[in-house]
Amino acid sequence: MLGRRNASIQPRPTPDAEMERAIHPSLQQIVDLKLVESGEKERLKELLIERLVECGWKDEMKTLCREFARKKGRDTVTVHELVKVITPKGRASVPDSVKAEMLQRIRSFLASAAT
Amino acid sequence: MSVPKEDGMPFPSELLSDVFDELLDCIIVDVASESHRIARLGLDRHLDDEEEELRLSAEARARASDPSHIGEANGKYVVDIFGQTHPAIANEIFECMNCSRSIVAGRFAPHLEKCMGKGRKARLKSTRSSTAAQNRYSRGSPVSNTNRLANGSAGNAGHEYSNGASEEP
Repeated sequence: MLGRRNASIQPRPTPDAEMERAIHPSLQQIVDLKLVESGEKERLKELLIERLVECGWKDEMKTLCREFARKKGRDTVTVHELVKVITPKGRASVPDSVKAEMLQRIRSFLASAAT
Repeated sequence: MSVPKEDGMPFPSELLSDVFDELLDCIIVDVASESHRIARLGLDRHLDDEEEELRLSAEARARASDPSHIGEANGKYVVDIFGQTHPAIANEIFECMNCSRSIVAGRFAPHLEKCMGKGRKARLKSTRSSTAAQNRYSRGSPVSNTNRLANGSAGNAGHEYSNGASEEP
């Protein structure tokens, strides 16, 4: 107990950038927090997955992964490699209607969360 | 946490896009992880075979039950893989082991319901009593006869067979 008292007197380190970010969260972070704590982020993700399955996007990605794994060797392939393989095509091949629907839902959620 | 509130709160489109991109990246990782698991466990190989097999058997089944393939006028009769046809209701007759009545096999389940289950009459029946057993044995139906002889033991009705059983040493 005696030893502990001295420790509290020592000067604290100056706040670094990370702490700055924690004290002053960006709008992006606030938005993210709102999405998570309301459960909307989970719902949005479920909806997006559903849409991507319906339009065949998920099957396309799984096929790419399967082909890559067969070429490279199924025992040596890593998750990281597969992510790198499908990310460019994955981001580019989302149907416009799906993306539009998602953006609209995000916008209306934020509008209702802000009021 | 104080947030400066602007009137109307216009959301920059990049804010929305960032949210979307983050969701998409998360899903991409999930898909990659799932595919990675399938690849490492070799499930896609067997999955393909199994899917192929399921597909072929479904097709075969569809062909078999297609009425245009059947020579019979009755559309209900289908042909199995040996080329045999089976009536919709099984028509073999056998003896109910509970009440010793002759029952059509296709009607056995509903009969058993009444025979063993719900009714007052059903519960009054004593299934394990010697009367029912003796009824069974004395009827001399071919199935129970051969069973008794082959086993060499006839339970409590064994004495009835002592004159007929040539198998006993």
